[in-house]
Amino acid sequence: MKDPVGGNQRRARFQSLCQSLRPDLLRFAFWLARDRALAEDVVQETMLRAWKAQDSLLDESAAKPWFLTIIRREYARCFERKRFVTVDVEELIAKEEPMLAAADDQELVELRAAMFKLPGEYREPLVMQVLMGLSTAEIAAELGLSNAAVLTRLFRARKQLRVMCGEDTSLDPEE
Amino acid sequence: MMDCGHYRRAMLAEPSNDDAELRRHLATCPECTRYAEQLRRFEDRLDRALRVEMNPPLMEQRVVTPLRAARPRGARPWDPPHRRWLAAAASVLLGTAVAFSLWLAAPGRSLAADVVKHMAEEPNAWAHTDIPVPEPRLDQVLIDSHVRFRVSAGLVSYASSCSFRGHKVPHLVVQTGSGPVTVMVLTHEALRSAMRFNEQGYRGVIVPVRGHGSLAVLERGPDMDIKAVEGVAARVQSALDWTT
Repeated sequence: MKDPVGGNQRRARFQSLCQSLRPDLLRFAFWLARDRALAEDVVQETMLRAWKAQDSLLDESAAKPWFLTIIRREYARCFERKRFVTVDVEELIAKEEPMLAAADDQELVELRAAMFKLPGEYREPLVMQVLMGLSTAEIAAELGLSNAAVLTRLFRARKQLRVMCGEDTSLDPEE
Repeated sequence: MMDCGHYRRAMLAEPSNDDAELRRHLATCPECTRYAEQLRRFEDRLDRALRVEMNPPLMEQRVVTPLRAARPRGARPWDPPHRRWLAAAASVLLGTAVAFSLWLAAPGRSLAADVVKHMAEEPNAWAHTDIPVPEPRLDQVLIDSHVRFRVSAGLVSYASSCSFRGHKVPHLVVQTGSGPVTVMVLTHEALRSAMRFNEQGYRGVIVPVRGHGSLAVLERGPDMDIKAVEGVAARVQSALDWTT
């Protein structure tokens, strides 16, 4: 026999979890896709799939990686369906200019544009680490890489970003 | 013995790395100390850069409205094939409505999540201590928010001006009988009503402060219940003197 009270409580907890994670999931999808409309599609689909599959989330502390896995799958599906052609990154930046704008901080705008130019293999683990707060081991598990490979990508990501942003890199180490 | 190259490579890959060997090297190397400070500033900017604003209205236009428009007119609910279709459509609409309600409810929750995330970045602030922050230092941290804290209201053991959602905000730790409590003065974060949160081991409240944004008060650990946190929030709020 089903337990409607327990079921309602579980659903309420899951809803609360979704609420707390949603903004960062949207941001993650945006940096993954570099396209706001696509990010919204992906997160919308992700929420619907997550809602249906909520029983498979056994440990709430693992919710972030669980959602990220669904988002990455959804993004891959969208990518397959829409068969995107290669686009000029400068066009992407121009298209998403309102999203990249920062009211009073030109440095943030430059950094956001540099993020768009960063290759996906470096951009994705960096966003997972900085925005989503995942550990190296969690990123490695999500991307199917070794810890060492993740650290190398994170190192290269920051090194390239710092150069693109005109930071003082005189103290930056060689690889 | 660790060299500078090793230290900097490790920090560039993982700036929050708190390995003891890295800390030992940092304590003995002025150049790497300078590098660590450079990286800290860069990391702070990167964190803000990634937090792009994602506003919800487009969602209503792009997802909910087309689904509503797709509902068949004149469908007869007692007709079994149509009923099945309607049930499926209702399921989609319900799921979308749930997702949309989550979207609309997001800002307050998001603020709580960001406050909690900020706590994790400053673990040293939580120390139990009876050493107060010097009053001039406390005033300096609060001055940009146009507020003063009456020190008679509680011992402030930590005061820092922190980057939070693109603004510098005062981050204080007040020692109470039940342990340290963190206070963030969020003058840029207006809130319509108070909200409680319990996330990642932190319990707290964010209360609106009329004309001055909001105030986040939170604790960690099992020693204090949410009512006590709310009591601390009320005491802190009454100990703040706004200068504008």
